[in-house]
Amino acid sequence: MSFTRMMEGNEAAAWGAKLARADVVPAYPITPQTELISNIASLIADGTMKTEYIKVEGEHTAMAAAVGASAAGARVFTASSSQGIAFMDEPLWIPPGRRLPIVMCMVNRSMAPLGGLRPDHNDSMHQRDKGWILLYCENSQEVLDTILQAYKIAENPEIYLPVGVCYDGYFVSATATPTTVPDQAKVDEWLPPYKHEWYDLMPDSYKMPPPKSFLKQRIGVAEAHQKAKKVIEAVDVDYKKHFGRGYGGLIEEYNCDGAEAVLVTMDSMTGTAKDVIDEMRADGKTIGLIKLKCFRPFPTEKFREIAPKYNAIGVVDRNNSFGSAGGGIVAVELARALYDLSERPVIANFHVGLSGTDVTMNQIRYMADETLEAAKKGKVKQVVDWVETHDLGEVM
Amino acid sequence: MYNDEFEKYYEEQLIQGGTTCCPGCGGPLFWKLALKTLGKNTIVYGDGPCAMCALRSIKIPHYAIHFSFIADGATGISAALRAKGRNDVTLVSSGGDGASSDISFGKISAAAERNENMIQICIDNEAYMNTGIQKSGLTPYGAWTTTTPTGKESNKKDIPMIVAAHKVPYVATASVAYPQDLARKLEKAKSIDGFKYIHTVIPCPTGWRFDPAKAVEVTRLGVDTWVNPLYEVEAGVLKVNRKAEAKPVQEYLGAQGRFRRLSKDQIAYVQGEVDKKRDDLLANDAKKIIH
Repeated sequence: MSFTRMMEGNEAAAWGAKLARADVVPAYPITPQTELISNIASLIADGTMKTEYIKVEGEHTAMAAAVGASAAGARVFTASSSQGIAFMDEPLWIPPGRRLPIVMCMVNRSMAPLGGLRPDHNDSMHQRDKGWILLYCENSQEVLDTILQAYKIAENPEIYLPVGVCYDGYFVSATATPTTVPDQAKVDEWLPPYKHEWYDLMPDSYKMPPPKSFLKQRIGVAEAHQKAKKVIEAVDVDYKKHFGRGYGGLIEEYNCDGAEAVLVTMDSMTGTAKDVIDEMRADGKTIGLIKLKCFRPFPTEKFREIAPKYNAIGVVDRNNSFGSAGGGIVAVELARALYDLSERPVIANFHVGLSGTDVTMNQIRYMADETLEAAKKGKVKQVVDWVETHDLGEVM
Repeated sequence: MYNDEFEKYYEEQLIQGGTTCCPGCGGPLFWKLALKTLGKNTIVYGDGPCAMCALRSIKIPHYAIHFSFIADGATGISAALRAKGRNDVTLVSSGGDGASSDISFGKISAAAERNENMIQICIDNEAYMNTGIQKSGLTPYGAWTTTTPTGKESNKKDIPMIVAAHKVPYVATASVAYPQDLARKLEKAKSIDGFKYIHTVIPCPTGWRFDPAKAVEVTRLGVDTWVNPLYEVEAGVLKVNRKAEAKPVQEYLGAQGRFRRLSKDQIAYVQGEVDKKRDDLLANDAKKIIH
């Protein structure tokens, strides 16, 4: 039966894996992912979840075991954070090239040194070049729903790519928000059992995809990413039809009607930003919000379609890309996406919330005002603005 | 002259002829013998050393990543087999000496600790031969490699005994020079649930520097000099399988170019180490050594 209660992001993720009937979960603990796997262990112990949970000795093995299990016909779920994802770097290259539909939660936490335990997005964005689909979530409900959507996307034979379901450590992972856990039978109806059309390792029915050249394999992954954009949107629409909740697929446009400028946010800060945008709109300021849900594949066409409506886009990057062409990872991506447009908005760029510092309402108001000013002047003050270096009259 | 018998023989083997291995490589020989015992209902995960050239030619399900991935993917396959209720399939995980003793050493230890249901095989040609003869943790004392041009200064890791110390159900050393013993050990490993470990030193004429025609002869000398003794540890009890009087190590070392630079003192040192190991094995034969 479906039920609704207050639930932390990590518990919602465990329910997502349970509802998806993940056959195999190889995982290694790391803060702030830990409660996710201990929740899975509890669901197994009380008989709610039936899965092979492998308590591996490190993240490298977690992903390698995921690869073996997925190729052998099991639906696989795993999760990690920060240094753990970095330790997994070598095996993380395997599932996209081998086209294995593994789903992994990336519970965002900043990277060393001095990163601490709190979130920014460098750990998951670091995966951007490997071929993983990367989806970002705002709250517990979105985490659960996105895991179910992730399997549907990943296991589409046109796609066959792994999916990273990303959410902020603590702000999402350990913050309880009302969450509806859908009925198992309803999920079963929507998400059929996993069967890979290319692979079968069982001796009596063995099949393997014929060897491809490196070039063909890489082009295959690139094409699957292009196709995935439509599939991600279609899966979200279909999910909404069945379960009543949708997230816009690739992006969510919030309060954008008549806006001359928009902020682009990701992850948990979006909730705060929505409140600020509402207030500013009430004050007559023409600012809107775009939540970037899908970072890989990057929704280039979508942005090219909507960008001409705005005079400025303020990109909020909770990440660093040192020595980049200019600013954070999302800003650089967006600039490339819009480059060929004859009429394109100014791109303002902000670094904020690094290493899990709070992204406050004042900071969002500041970024929105700066973006509006850039829209009026047709240029930005600086390539990237480190928001936390300004005194906004807040006690942090 | 066309020979039908020859075709029939090749059809029966679970490894194709014409591998890309060097002449005299123990890899294809090992897999030919092993798969005969293990049978068709087997999945092989992992690489060998350059014996992966042999693995690419086997006719049964095979899945590999790189040599930093030993036992791990097999752990996933094992879980998938359990999830599917397939307890009839034999799962083999293979690794070379560099993988097993260096880069994936921790993975073998962890799979042993979890008592994963698989036969882990170390195909030990005593150096990174695939990359062109570089020293590994299983290169023996005194051996020349391109990274130990004056001979390796430290001893070889005793991986079979390290794995045995994990209290796994079965550990054995085996040799392609003693195929019946090898077949019996694989048969036994196949019949036991949990983690089984087979260690086999295979000949590498290219890296060891000897005439490929003498591959089996040199490998047999390794066993007969007790440099690579044959034993098994089942449920913690040691059984020495070949107790023949030891030939002098010089016969084995002298047959290979890689030991050419060893001084008399160094050879005496190797003999002393081998003697100690033999005495230790014989003193503990038929005794429970892992409690």
